[in-house]
Amino acid sequence: MLYIIVFFLTLLVINPNPWHSGVTIRTVTSNSSAYNAGMQSPEPTEVPMVRERIVEINRVPINNVIDFEKVIDSLPENVTLTIKTEKTKFGFFHDVNTYFVNYISKDKLGLKVYDAPKSNILLGLDLQGGTRVVLQPETEVSSEDMEIIKTNMERRLNVFGLSDTIITARKDLSGTQFIVVEIAGANEEEVKELLAKQGKFEAKIGNETVFLGGRDITYVCRTAQCSGIDPQYGCQQFSDGYNCRFRFSISLSPEAAQRQANITRNLNVVSEGFGEGYLSKNLDLYLDDVLVDTLRIGAELKGNPVTDISISGSGVGRNRQEALTDTQLNMKRLQTVLITGSLPVKLNIIKTDTLSPQLGKEFLRNAIWIAILSELAVTVIVLLRYRKVKIAIPIITVISSEILLILGIAALLKQNIDIAGIAGIIVAIGTGVDDQIVITDEILGHEKEEDVDRYLNWAQRIKKAFFIVIASYFATIAAMIPLLFAGAGLLQGFAVTTIIGVTNGVFITRPAFAQMMEILLSEE
Amino acid sequence: MSKKKKHKQKKQHKQITKKTQVEKPKLFFEKVKHFYITEYKKLFFIPIILFVLSGIILLITYAQTGFFMKRDVTLQGGVSLTITTNYSDLDYLESYITEKYPLSSVNIRTIEARGGIVGLIIEASDIHGEQLLNTTKEIIDFSDYSIETMGSSLGSSFFKQMFVAVLVAFLFMGFVFQLYFKSLYATFAALLSAFLDIFITMGIMDLLNVRLTAGGIAAYLMLIGYSVDTSILLSTKLLKEESKDVNIALFGAMKTGFTMSAAGIAATGISFLLTNNVTLKQIMLILIVGLVIDLITTWIGNVPLLRFYLEKNVKN
Repeated sequence: MLYIIVFFLTLLVINPNPWHSGVTIRTVTSNSSAYNAGMQSPEPTEVPMVRERIVEINRVPINNVIDFEKVIDSLPENVTLTIKTEKTKFGFFHDVNTYFVNYISKDKLGLKVYDAPKSNILLGLDLQGGTRVVLQPETEVSSEDMEIIKTNMERRLNVFGLSDTIITARKDLSGTQFIVVEIAGANEEEVKELLAKQGKFEAKIGNETVFLGGRDITYVCRTAQCSGIDPQYGCQQFSDGYNCRFRFSISLSPEAAQRQANITRNLNVVSEGFGEGYLSKNLDLYLDDVLVDTLRIGAELKGNPVTDISISGSGVGRNRQEALTDTQLNMKRLQTVLITGSLPVKLNIIKTDTLSPQLGKEFLRNAIWIAILSELAVTVIVLLRYRKVKIAIPIITVISSEILLILGIAALLKQNIDIAGIAGIIVAIGTGVDDQIVITDEILGHEKEEDVDRYLNWAQRIKKAFFIVIASYFATIAAMIPLLFAGAGLLQGFAVTTIIGVTNGVFITRPAFAQMMEILLSEE
Repeated sequence: MSKKKKHKQKKQHKQITKKTQVEKPKLFFEKVKHFYITEYKKLFFIPIILFVLSGIILLITYAQTGFFMKRDVTLQGGVSLTITTNYSDLDYLESYITEKYPLSSVNIRTIEARGGIVGLIIEASDIHGEQLLNTTKEIIDFSDYSIETMGSSLGSSFFKQMFVAVLVAFLFMGFVFQLYFKSLYATFAALLSAFLDIFITMGIMDLLNVRLTAGGIAAYLMLIGYSVDTSILLSTKLLKEESKDVNIALFGAMKTGFTMSAAGIAATGISFLLTNNVTLKQIMLILIVGLVIDLITTWIGNVPLLRFYLEKNVKN
């Protein structure tokens, strides 16, 4: 029986384990304490249950995020941590790793974690919390350019410190292109700005371009020695707030340096009283055609190909702390853009969602309750109608396994289950039961007609029932297919769960149900 | 004829063995059944009346808003902010926001549990997410929130495409139906009952002042599928089966159909009552109302049409 095989395969795919404990690593920030100890971010292709989990820190067992936070918050600065992790290999075997991390401070630790998942079912953002940004290119892009945009964005997010991201290029029914970026975990509002910037960075002297972001820049400093808040300026208070400056060094490629030498060769030196003189023109920095900074060029650079340059900028806030945060954020963004280069086209943000993990958890709990109770309600209806437990049992078994099968296939296809997806599952339960009722009635039926129909054998009766089932199947599929594509795939979850539900219903569970009924009722 | 007599005898037998208290409702039931069988042409007026009433409601909404259903921010564009709080002075909050941002139209809904307010959903158009967030923070203290912004272009393009999807669904189903039953009349009857189902449900939604969301449109698509389902059941029983008595086949189909609808209503009903998620609530509400209305449009709408057709053919 195909049904039983598929059922067990599904269980294997979902791999449920309610005792799966620890915190799963979401991201390891580059050049952080954790990174330097050898810890790595998970591959995006790894399924949730397989990813590396932290189970112990300094011999204290870690069961969830609360434990993790408690331990980290209680640590003094500058200690060595012993972090023990488990990573699943080949199904049942665990790889145990120990890392020795030089813990300096909380923000340099560089570990983002979340409660270890209990199964392989991928949850949509509205159930686990996260940020979603939908962007639209200003002009139509070719598929190669679309790939460039996707890769660039992924890099930007990685460089920025986020790796649990899913970036999808979508096309809706009218051919409009979209890029959907989903970042699981907590709110990451800073990301929205980062994603939309085309990132066209230009340094000009007068009208001539000296260097561009991307190829011309070989190195962007992000360590404390050559990047951070400007020590000479720091933060200053103004009438309506604070203003801080940042600076970081970059290295230019030899070609860019030579270009800079050629341009500055022709400039005059302007003396400014004591100290060094400057050149008559400034180096203007433009980001997306907006002037973000202008630097004076020291006289010694005239005609000299210099590869190291210091870039600066600023941030503002209502108080000192806000200004500091804003400044650091601006610096981080600029660094990211310089490292990853610019996008081929300008992107507009057309939708942003910031979804709270707390609310998501509540919805999930609520949804599970609803599924169970819906099943009970349907059971009651079935019992009321047929008044025979013998008939009710197969129907209920089949519904329960249906839910499991839908979740399993969705996990296999790496399809997220979101609220709309849950609606799809509930609807699939409803229609699933309907088909079974049709089959049951067809098998049991014709009691009222004491005429000829009694000698219709099983096969014929079931065939008739299936006729109805299959016809309605195609009708439902027809309705769901447009949903897969409409509106940047917003309702894809619903469409996919419904399609999976009815398809596996027609090909797997209904035949199984019919067989069960045959076995149970042929005793009469 | 003899079959009917045997049938009646069996029924009477059953009536004698049951207690007299049961007789009265059973007689009533028989009367209803009789009416249903003989006066089906008159019954057809019920769906028509509902259609006209819904039409009026939809037209009024059209006059008020420029479209025949009120749409929420996911389809028109705007911001939707969900917060956890028990704040209840909704009027004050609404006026506060509109005072600050006069161009924005604000709609506030409550999330309730255990008899009290546990959360609010604040929807506003023509405003930035940050603006709504900060303005709300000035009145209510909250830390946990979800915010969704939908650009108006995405909202309206989505809506237009969904509309097309609905039309395509209709056409495709009609096509499948025609392929199976090879009767244009039956196909027309099935599509009409599906159309009426959606139409009347929309009217009721407008009456209840429920705003259409993206999920809601998905629910309508499901409803088309479901309505065509019951029509397929009905048509199979009446047109494809070789039973001699149309009425018996019809009641057989009705029994199956009612059970199906009851199961569907049970599943969606529980979900509707218990969920705390607004998207899910709307999807389920549309499905429940649609399933109930489907009972009317299929068994009092589609059936008379088919019976009329069958009787005409029998005469020929």
